[in-house]
Amino acid sequence: MTALAGETLAGPGAAPARRVVSPWNPANAVTASRFFTLPVFLWAVHHGYHQWATLIMLACGLLDKLDGLVARIFNCKSAFGELFDAIADAACYGFGLIVVAAYGWAPVLPVVGVLTLGAVNTVMRAIYLKRAGRATNYKSYAMERLVAYTGYLIGFATARFEVTFFYWLFLPVMAAILVYDTKRMLIDPIPPALALAPTLAPAEATR
Amino acid sequence: MTNPMSDYAFAVFITIITGGVSFVWFCLDLRNLVLARTLDGSDPSVRDRRFGYSMGLVIATIGVVGSAKFWL
Repeated sequence: MTALAGETLAGPGAAPARRVVSPWNPANAVTASRFFTLPVFLWAVHHGYHQWATLIMLACGLLDKLDGLVARIFNCKSAFGELFDAIADAACYGFGLIVVAAYGWAPVLPVVGVLTLGAVNTVMRAIYLKRAGRATNYKSYAMERLVAYTGYLIGFATARFEVTFFYWLFLPVMAAILVYDTKRMLIDPIPPALALAPTLAPAEATR
Repeated sequence: MTNPMSDYAFAVFITIITGGVSFVWFCLDLRNLVLARTLDGSDPSVRDRRFGYSMGLVIATIGVVGSAKFWL
């Protein structure tokens, strides 16, 4: 598989050097392993094993934290890795929400609302990618925290905590963050690329 | 298939995971927000940090209240 090109890694006081990071690296392996938790989660929910379902989703969340740590240890951060991590987040938590709603453990309507807002956010990111010409260097502190809220929603549902109120409350919080991030992505000037931020190759950026 | 722990132990465990972690998170984001207030607000990345930490406080509060509600 072709490695991501055009990445720069500039150390303090050193001239920027091109560095190629293979997508087949330990951090991405940890990210990919999160997908293995999904069928097990479905199995646990299908059989009504609340505790196992919660623990499996917790393991999925811990793997999310672990991949960043592995990327730092093995020095294998890449634009593909960041994108893959975001896709894994959306797939895992989206799947979790759909499953708990489908099995009646959580209200359906707010879950549909959350998934719709998530789709809108994905479209905004795609527009930003086209506008900025790079996939990364866009960090949303608020959206990172919202991912943790999604974890609560699934955890509350599997652990039989109060769910309805918190599922509905998620919608205005997510909408506020989405409005703020949309302004940043579509209206605000694009910030300059960070020294460590991997960028798309010029050929990719001009597509 | 048996549960890995008793219902009571599980409720305590989940409360620690959600409520406990949310409380620590609330404290950290509150500290981050106070520190970010001293930075230059005209920098967009600083504004984004402030907004993110504020939302972090809201979400952490929801985590604490959500897990506390189970016991009340």
